[in-house]
Amino acid sequence: MAYAYLFKYIIIGDTGVGKSCLLLQFTDKRFQPVHDLTIGVEFGARMITIDGKQIKLQIWDTAGQESFRSITRSYYRGAAGALLVYDITRRDTFNHLTTWLEDARQHSNSNMVIMLIGNKSDLESRREVKKEEGEAFAREHGLIFMETSAKTASNVEEAFINTAKEIYEKIQEGVFDINNEANGIKIGPQHAATNSTLSGSQGGQQAGGGCC
Amino acid sequence: IAGCHQTHTVLDRNTLIRWGPLRPRGATIKLKAWRECETKSSRDGPSLSPPSARQSVRRNLDFEPLSTTALILEDRPSNLPAKPAEEAQKHRQQYEEMVAQAKKRELKEAQKRRKQLEDRCKLEERIGSAAQTWNQEILPNWSTTCTTRWVRDLWWQGVPPSVRGKVWSLAVGNELNITHELYDICLARAREKWKTMPSAAPAEPETDDAGSSLADREASLELIKLDISRTFPHLCIFQQGGPYYDVLHSILGAYTCYRPDVGYVQGMSFIAAVLILNMDTADAFIAFANLLNKPCQMAFFRVDHSLMLTYFAAFEVFFEENLPKLFAHFKENKLTPDIYLIDWIFTLYSKSLPLDLACRVWDVFCRDGDEFLFRVALGILRMYEDVLTRMDFIHNAQFLTRLPDLIPSDQLFSHIHAVHMTSRNRKWAQVSWWAR
Repeated sequence: MAYAYLFKYIIIGDTGVGKSCLLLQFTDKRFQPVHDLTIGVEFGARMITIDGKQIKLQIWDTAGQESFRSITRSYYRGAAGALLVYDITRRDTFNHLTTWLEDARQHSNSNMVIMLIGNKSDLESRREVKKEEGEAFAREHGLIFMETSAKTASNVEEAFINTAKEIYEKIQEGVFDINNEANGIKIGPQHAATNSTLSGSQGGQQAGGGCC
Repeated sequence: IAGCHQTHTVLDRNTLIRWGPLRPRGATIKLKAWRECETKSSRDGPSLSPPSARQSVRRNLDFEPLSTTALILEDRPSNLPAKPAEEAQKHRQQYEEMVAQAKKRELKEAQKRRKQLEDRCKLEERIGSAAQTWNQEILPNWSTTCTTRWVRDLWWQGVPPSVRGKVWSLAVGNELNITHELYDICLARAREKWKTMPSAAPAEPETDDAGSSLADREASLELIKLDISRTFPHLCIFQQGGPYYDVLHSILGAYTCYRPDVGYVQGMSFIAAVLILNMDTADAFIAFANLLNKPCQMAFFRVDHSLMLTYFAAFEVFFEENLPKLFAHFKENKLTPDIYLIDWIFTLYSKSLPLDLACRVWDVFCRDGDEFLFRVALGILRMYEDVLTRMDFIHNAQFLTRLPDLIPSDQLFSHIHAVHMTSRNRKWAQVSWWAR
């Protein structure tokens, strides 16, 4: 399908925090109480619209176990956005955020937009991490923050879309070099007709000559 | 009486319409009752249409169609104008065509069912006689028979489920000399650790430098619990309360005590689960530990990234050799083999292929070693080459990380068979030797 931009996302965070469930809720609008274990990486894709433009999200959902870090590190490359997920009912998943963040900052491009997500907000009675703590962590590290529930779908749509909005704004501001695919952004075939708002620096980049 | 029949007719017509497609047998009976009813009421009451047309309709009804399409033939209710002869003729014709088609379809389906039954009988017979051969001729003389041509050929066809556990145990071997007693000791140690471990995740924040090996190991014991429920969830036997929950928990826990240097790594639960389904607990543990001790498995479960890359590079040599077009397409789309191979190799295909097919892969993996795992990967790529060459990065990645639910095993095995594992006169072992 024709799109103006393609953004690559990566979902990271401890094992069992609900990364795959968030993805499934976003792409298929359903919740699977017992999801398969993710080994290595799995993928999702969905089209969204921002500012009247079709944007395709290509989402890499990674394995969370510590042992797999050396593998998942190579998947940061070329990601425009990252969803860093913890489980509000497991304090340790919140405590590990610093190491995840260090990893992400070290192996991705510096402009990557990071969205911090406190998942499982439906399990209020088992909450171990206050919402304020998540907000404080996000503020301190310059991240966007949201609490979500993959089960009830609360804020799931918003988490993915707000990340895309932020990336889109950065493109408009000229922060991202969209000609460099290592930034996780690709210009789509649809873009040729609608690129008037952008500086004309992407000449010759349109795949398929703007034909849909 | 006529009035009573009339009511029935209306009722039947409703139930018929509602039940028709779902309850074919019931519908047929109802249709008959309804017809009788109609005949009677038309005999009693005013005639609705010329009897000749009705007769020809009846003749067609000696074959009972399975749906309610027969309704189109009924005449219009008396309070509406009758159908023009032309239209009635057209409807009759359409109806006859429909009946003929339905008949053909029924016949075809019956033939298909008969064929399926025959195939199943044949397959069961083949499995039965193969099981006898394995039990009486091969297993008692394992060391001399296991390398013979005829046994290897029989092996390729798939080991019968009843002897699978024995064959796997013998083929994997016990280089590590693990005894049942050693398993008991490791298990006892694991149980002790579970007891001293806090049952829930600690509520107080840990300090950062508490990331010592002890905390890691405890985390890995905690992780096992989390992962068991996510191991073959659709089978509903490994989840808490299921019959194999404790067994799977025990084997994985015992292994972390047997090999603390490796610990628990995701993917292991699938391997242990498949073994549990085919042998006793202690034997499953022995096979598990020995299987994981093989060079390729060790490289992966230690997540030795550079060694893994060596295996992937060796894989790509044979990929290019066997499927140059697809290889080029993947290169162009930056689809690297780690994206799909990691899951396949870590779980030995048990997560990505249907379980019965995965067991067949395990059969030959036990015979041929790690080379076969990569050969299966090439077999899968070969089987779906046409589809894969037409798709872009994301669709390929999604396809390969979530293979179709139905994969005909004979078809896949013939593709695997067609993969040749030599490249410029070098065999897999030579290409991948520096990974060892």
